[in-house]
Amino acid sequence: MRIKKGLTGLIVGALMLGLLAGCVGKNETNGGDNGGGAAEGKVKLTMWGAVPPENGPQEVVDTWNAEHPDIQVEYVRFVNDDDGNLKLDTALSTGQNVDLYVNYTLTNLDKRIKGGTALDLGEFTDYNIDEKMGEDAASWKVDGKYYGMPTKKNAAFFALNMKALDQAGLSVPKAWTWDEAREYALKLKTAGFKYGLVQHTASYVDPLDSVLVKNGYVKADGSSNLDDPLVTKWLETLNGMMKEDATTPPLGEQLTSKMPVENMFLGGESAMINIGEWLIRTSNNMTEFPRDWKIAFAPVPRLAAQEADMVKSGGLGDFIAINSKSKNKEAAWEFLKWYADGGMMPMAAGGRLPSSNAVDQQTAIDHLLGDYADSYDKESLEFVLYGDETPTFVRSIAQEVVDLRAQEYEKFFLGNQTAEVTVQNMVKRHNDWLKQNQ
Amino acid sequence: MHKSWMKRQSRLGYLFIGPNMIGVLLFFIIPAVYSFYLMFTDYKFMSPETNFVGLDNIRRMLNDDLFGVALRNTFVFLLAVPVSMGLAFIVAVALNKSVYWQKTLRALYFMPYITSGVAIAFVWMLLFQPTSGPINGFLRGIGITNPPGWLSTTEWSMYAIDIIWIWFMLGYNMIIYLAALQEIPEELVEAARIDGARPWQTIRQVIWPLVSPTTFLLLITGLIMTIKNFGIIQAITQGGPGNSTTVLSLFIYQNAFRYYEMGYAAAISWALFAIIMVFTVLQWLGQKRWVHY
Repeated sequence: MRIKKGLTGLIVGALMLGLLAGCVGKNETNGGDNGGGAAEGKVKLTMWGAVPPENGPQEVVDTWNAEHPDIQVEYVRFVNDDDGNLKLDTALSTGQNVDLYVNYTLTNLDKRIKGGTALDLGEFTDYNIDEKMGEDAASWKVDGKYYGMPTKKNAAFFALNMKALDQAGLSVPKAWTWDEAREYALKLKTAGFKYGLVQHTASYVDPLDSVLVKNGYVKADGSSNLDDPLVTKWLETLNGMMKEDATTPPLGEQLTSKMPVENMFLGGESAMINIGEWLIRTSNNMTEFPRDWKIAFAPVPRLAAQEADMVKSGGLGDFIAINSKSKNKEAAWEFLKWYADGGMMPMAAGGRLPSSNAVDQQTAIDHLLGDYADSYDKESLEFVLYGDETPTFVRSIAQEVVDLRAQEYEKFFLGNQTAEVTVQNMVKRHNDWLKQNQ
Repeated sequence: MHKSWMKRQSRLGYLFIGPNMIGVLLFFIIPAVYSFYLMFTDYKFMSPETNFVGLDNIRRMLNDDLFGVALRNTFVFLLAVPVSMGLAFIVAVALNKSVYWQKTLRALYFMPYITSGVAIAFVWMLLFQPTSGPINGFLRGIGITNPPGWLSTTEWSMYAIDIIWIWFMLGYNMIIYLAALQEIPEELVEAARIDGARPWQTIRQVIWPLVSPTTFLLLITGLIMTIKNFGIIQAITQGGPGNSTTVLSLFIYQNAFRYYEMGYAAAISWALFAIIMVFTVLQWLGQKRWVHY
């Protein structure tokens, strides 16, 4: 009897497992349907990226699919936040259908390389990434190798209300310091704006990274360099703009209202905005954000006194890797080359300028500005996109360090601790982190 | 004959609980045991190597200032539970008797509980806006010249979250209390009235002791639910500004899914488990003194 009881349990268990397995199996069959084309000589690729399909990617893959009936590409969107990246990483490490995927930060790329899911592109010899993409590409190298291809030109810049500049008698700067930018903000505020400058919280730290890329995040003795005098300079400049000049929104206000800074700039509440090429997506939307003034562009100001000491945020982005577990690496490579050398053009309208020199700059700009080219100051735009020779960097520090810095400077801007204590805390926490991760 | 019937019955019983048990085994017990093992490793998601590191994660946790901050924030967060229960009891007593709009009011109080967390987050962010938000507008209106900055300051942010959480839990607590109040025999209240008890005395000395099992249930479940919750904080402040609203559960989430430090996150999870365990055991021990069945 006892055995029989156990047996029933087993049968029930087996039935349930069968059911569960049935569910899993069913999913696999579904996946198989997609890949089923492979048996007929067709290749099916899946590309994961964070840009919404309707903002270009769908048009890109549609164009490719029409020209290449033998290699069909499907675009899957993941949201570029913690949850979205986790979804992609899970898909990669559990061997789901990912052939190509876009990395937006070096930090994420690094994890994926360590996890063995990024293919070393050195095995393909018919495309020279350094030659095609220029010097800036090298900042994406890991251990001297390319585990993907940077396809987009990043541009960080100040966008300026040109009408306001003209009225205040200010010129469009080609190189400037934060002190000068602060003066500009003050003059423009008195000329009738609520704020002189607005910025996304993500752009806040760019000046810090500029300094630390140049001077080193870590000192020669292996300890934190977050006490570089220019860090304090940054803290005090921005704090002065928030509290003394009231030319930029106080951080507390900005955080709690999730301030829509682009709308504030385009709506005439702020005369300047610290932003990047993605501004054009919004500023070209004249129905929602009508304006009768031109937008001019200036490089992001520097903290250092000497122009030669400046390294600016920028470089290249949209680093597309091939999954090393992909069954169709050759096909993925073919698609990737085509994508980089102009296939991605439909995405330029959304601010994604191709980085490959196979693409004509003028065509790219035309795509970028679309029908509203007249509403931009073209000369300064060309300068910040292509003319400025300042070396660039791509932020490569770990998320933990980005976060610990942010936590400490937020406390400073909110008035909870002095600049001195802020720097001390940053250094202490950075050192702890360095010790933990040596 | 009788015996075999019992056997068949129990077999049938197993059949019914089988699906659920397998679910519990696959999605709860196995992961829990696995996380216990992970606590002693340096496992990082996506990283190829995993080493056994012994008590390193626990040592790291005890030396981590942020763990202390998270622990303190968690206790401030827990203050919301008794406050919400107290308010819920008062509202429930009021709504138990015939008042105007009784049903509408019950529905209104319960509404937050069934509303999406993200929607709640956005509405409260607007309400708490330091300069143009209605809450500070009201406070200024009644003569408070320097109202708190709520979510925009490190001193007030955790209390602001508490207020949202109190409001969120109120409806649920109220419904459970209402159910308990309906169970109270009318005669007891009647007897108290005949003996000359004032309404307040009746509530304190008759009704409150009679609903104590409900209070006990709400307290335990409320504390556990609160200590585990991170969604609402993630949606509103992501633990900021600074790290003033990083509670333990959010700290675990950040370590596991933002930094991929699974080993460390597992260690903190077990610390959280231990805290919940201590709370629960203490309450079970204490219940004899104040819970009357």
